[in-house]
Amino acid sequence: MNATQLRAASERASRVNSPYAQANHGPKGLSRREFVRTTAGVVAAGAVAATGLWRPSLAYGAAFASSDPVPIPGGTPGLGGAFHIYAPAAIDSIDAEPITITDFNGFVGLTYLSGTVTRRNRVTREVVELPFLGADMRFMHGIYRGADGRIRQGTFGFV
Amino acid sequence: MNPGIAPSGLFWTTALPENAVKVNLGDGSAVMQATNLSVLDFGDFGNSLFGGGVPPVPATVSFTVRWSGVLDRAKVVSTDTGMTGEFIRNTAQMEWSATVGDFDFVSAPAETSASDFAEIGQERNGTFFTRG
Repeated sequence: MNATQLRAASERASRVNSPYAQANHGPKGLSRREFVRTTAGVVAAGAVAATGLWRPSLAYGAAFASSDPVPIPGGTPGLGGAFHIYAPAAIDSIDAEPITITDFNGFVGLTYLSGTVTRRNRVTREVVELPFLGADMRFMHGIYRGADGRIRQGTFGFV
Repeated sequence: MNPGIAPSGLFWTTALPENAVKVNLGDGSAVMQATNLSVLDFGDFGNSLFGGGVPPVPATVSFTVRWSGVLDRAKVVSTDTGMTGEFIRNTAQMEWSATVGDFDFVSAPAETSASDFAEIGQERNGTFFTRG
């Protein structure tokens, strides 16, 4: 997650004045391809490759199974509510929900970080220093009710 | 569907070891650490939301994020979203590394990073939400 990209996408989306669908697959009134092009254009303009790296894999699905946490209801209006996430102090109120799971009781943390990273190509040995901007890092550490209704102890990262 | 978003809608969230997070609300400090966490590189933000672009590339990432200090304290009650919490707004820094395909990434030391916004706290939502 990248707060800079999310904010840019939200601002760009608001300019095209198109409310997003509640479905997970994209905006209503704006084709999926158009929206991807919109966000990708924003990304291409200012984003940094390094910060686009961290996306949890669905390979974790097996580990979650019935003990999966349940996503928060709704989501940021900046993305039409289609994604179960808010971005406090970035595109949403500073007091917006900082975590991604519901039925939760515990410790949470959130931050948007910027800095520099060195990228090394192991084949060509090319070395490039890049900025990373607004890397969105969060944690949830406590008890939660899983998709199966059972209460468990768990630690989760939004990375 | 974007492979980083679970079929349930759970958004870019993954399980971490129990000891990956340590929190001390007394002094406003917290640490989140992970080593060789399996993730996917989607290449760009649009692809990471909607997919449909280049197939994501398997990657591993390691990081240490440290929150520290107390700039402000806030008690939040939101009946709209059904959450309440007590939060400390502070600062954070991060050091990280990653491997993606032929590329290795190593960040500069954590001390050179900076946060635009940071908070830690204790919250209850969903079925654990009460207005008290």
